[in-house]
Amino acid sequence: MERTLARPDAWTWAFLGLGLLLLPVGFYLALAAPPDVNQGYLVRIMYLHVPAAWLGYLAFFVTFLYSLLYVFRPDPRYDRVAASSAEIGLVFLGLALVTGMLWARPTWGVYWTWEPRLTTTAILFAVYVGYFLLRSAIEDPDLRAKASTAVGILGFVNVPISYMSVKWWRSLHQTQSIDLTTGRVQMDPEMLQALLFNLLVFTLLYLGFVRFRALLAAWEAQKEEA
Amino acid sequence: MRRVLVLALRDLRLEVRGRAGLLSVFSFFLVMLFILALGLGPEEVLLREAAAGALWVGMAFAGSLLASRAFGLEVEDGTLDDLLLAPGSREWIYFGKLLFQMLLLLLLGLLGLLVAAGLFYMPLERFFPLLFTLFLGSLGYASVATFYAGLLARLRGRDVLLPLLLFSLVVPVVLASVRATEGLLVGLPLDEVLPWWQLLGVFDVVYVTVSALLFPWVMEG
Repeated sequence: MERTLARPDAWTWAFLGLGLLLLPVGFYLALAAPPDVNQGYLVRIMYLHVPAAWLGYLAFFVTFLYSLLYVFRPDPRYDRVAASSAEIGLVFLGLALVTGMLWARPTWGVYWTWEPRLTTTAILFAVYVGYFLLRSAIEDPDLRAKASTAVGILGFVNVPISYMSVKWWRSLHQTQSIDLTTGRVQMDPEMLQALLFNLLVFTLLYLGFVRFRALLAAWEAQKEEA
Repeated sequence: MRRVLVLALRDLRLEVRGRAGLLSVFSFFLVMLFILALGLGPEEVLLREAAAGALWVGMAFAGSLLASRAFGLEVEDGTLDDLLLAPGSREWIYFGKLLFQMLLLLLLGLLGLLVAAGLFYMPLERFFPLLFTLFLGSLGYASVATFYAGLLARLRGRDVLLPLLLFSLVVPVVLASVRATEGLLVGLPLDEVLPWWQLLGVFDVVYVTVSALLFPWVMEG
């Protein structure tokens, strides 16, 4: 492997820099957004909760994509990106779960309830914890890549279910304000702007993180070989 | 198709001849149902409410023991490579093992229904819808279990890893099965149970297809 690989490229720096730079702006917008009719200022958890959950799904989708790529062409790079994305997805999803629990306590009165969206999200979390358990259990890199690829593909089945759960089982959890399946948006425009902006910032950060994490993984692989 | 049947029947015959393995799984299942009933009892209403959950939790745990049996003997006897060297595509190995798992799981579930009827006061009037739920749930469970058992067959520490990986992935299947069973037990009309059957059906189709497609790729090398 050539040495030149082992440097973050311009894209990585651009994503990371822009993401970090815009993070305070997103934070400001979230705090400046109008309070909700029902929930008042409490609704501001949303600007963290929704992007975190969304990015969790996106990250697992990327893992799924790169796992598929690995099936067709077993290039260790694909495996590294898949694993990196799963790792960051796990962090974002964890953040979504924690903020969700903090939000649930004042609005629903409990931290946790066995409601479909919560249950399916917790399952999703467990699936990808399993993904890393498996990775840490296998030493041979090829076998490790193969096994985790299989889990990355099979486990993704749960993402659409988690996303659709609020529609399939009408329950406590709010339905999507921005519905990807129908393209309908139900939200105050000012709040929507703030949410979309935060979504953008988180996505930028995610892209930067994934590229950086994959690079770290490449360094690790290099060290393992040496 | 014939190969699938032959492989499943061969495994079944080996298991029945070996006896010890199967017996331990079945007695584990029975003891577990008994302990659950003991822990929840003795009130009849409470036991009846818990019946569906207890049955499927028992199935899930005993099923994870069964799963490691699918490839356990092949690894012990060193016949896995012979099996993989057989000419033709390798999907049939997956389907053979899946059929073998299904037969054992259905047997286990049938026994479970009868035992739960006794211990948990579970009504069995709607026997055939219950059996149908059992079939759908077992298929979803077995599809993932067989796949993971094959994937982990050659790994050290597979006995701990298998249930860990398996449970997180089959939780939706178990959940839907419990809900469907519960609905049948409290006497909901069939069209209210239908959504759960549909969900189970979707899981079955997706898991079986994806597993069968990935299986040959995972097993090579």
